[in-house]
Amino acid sequence: MNAPTDRDLILRARRGDPEAYGDLVSRHQTSVFNVCYRILHNRADAEDLAQETFIRALDRLHTFDLEREFSPWIRRVAANLCLNHIEAQKPSAPLDEERDEDKTQSPGEQVEVKERSEQIRSALASLPPQYRVVVELRHYQELSYDEIASELNIPLSDVKSHLFRARKLLAEKLHAPD
Amino acid sequence: MHLTDEQLNEYLDNETAQRAEIETHLDSCDECAARLSTLQALFADLDSLPEVELSRDIAARFSPRPSLTPSLPRWLTLTASLQAAAALVALIVAIPFFSIMIPQIETPSFTTWLFEIQSIWISWLDALSNYQLPNYQFTNLPTYPVELSTLFIALAIVSIFWIFGNGLLLRNQNR
Repeated sequence: MNAPTDRDLILRARRGDPEAYGDLVSRHQTSVFNVCYRILHNRADAEDLAQETFIRALDRLHTFDLEREFSPWIRRVAANLCLNHIEAQKPSAPLDEERDEDKTQSPGEQVEVKERSEQIRSALASLPPQYRVVVELRHYQELSYDEIASELNIPLSDVKSHLFRARKLLAEKLHAPD
Repeated sequence: MHLTDEQLNEYLDNETAQRAEIETHLDSCDECAARLSTLQALFADLDSLPEVELSRDIAARFSPRPSLTPSLPRWLTLTASLQAAAALVALIVAIPFFSIMIPQIETPSFTTWLFEIQSIWISWLDALSNYQLPNYQFTNLPTYPVELSTLFIALAIVSIFWIFGNGLLLRNQNR
């Protein structure tokens, strides 16, 4: 028997089947958490915001357009929530020192990957919140400039300036000569 | 004249209508090609960021807690059914006893009861004042038929099943 599609699960969840929504969350929780973690760079906050994302999504599930994909939608909801969270919470929470790990590599390579990943995450975390979210939506959610402008409700010119400045700052941090 | 940062960014983002002109320029300009390479390296860095695993299962919050009944083992369900069946049998057995017993109970009137209680109370007070307890015999209290042992045994069995069954159910719930 084929696994139910996201659409099936959404329809069942709309009819009040909590198990269906649990399955939907289970399917997307890691990617949503990673959206939050890339933007917040704090595991506890990212997990809380990921959970909050699914709570909000459940409230809005009846308005979700079934012709669209659930994954991009929920990840955009997460990005917006994170942006609101950062802007509402100043100064920001301390950043995690957690290192990324890839078990398919040798210990030496793993250390290198961890260090590089940590540099990238730290560089992302050092960006202004609006820049972080634009980078997230462009690089990880692959939205067009117009879609980002629509999602964040900002002018197209702001999307471009945020994105290009963010990249310039990241390049300076990550590719600066030692 | 070199390409602007905006042109390079839009080129990599596939957000420009000037692709052909930009590519022609890149073929002939090492400086712009180097800037493009730096930007491509940044894209590669961002793409290389691995996904991180959650430390807790968020989905568990949204999934319903498994109900007690489906999680009961087969033997426990059998015990509960047996308990219900025993209770029913005991009830059927008890009905004739009750029908025999109820007419045989002689119920004294309320006034008689009050007199009994009053006289007992007075005799107790007398006994207390004389520092001795009265040896009083109840005479008008109802009497029961002697053959009650079967009924008591049946009720005891049902009680044991009831206590045992509920104990198991509660233990299962607390896990």
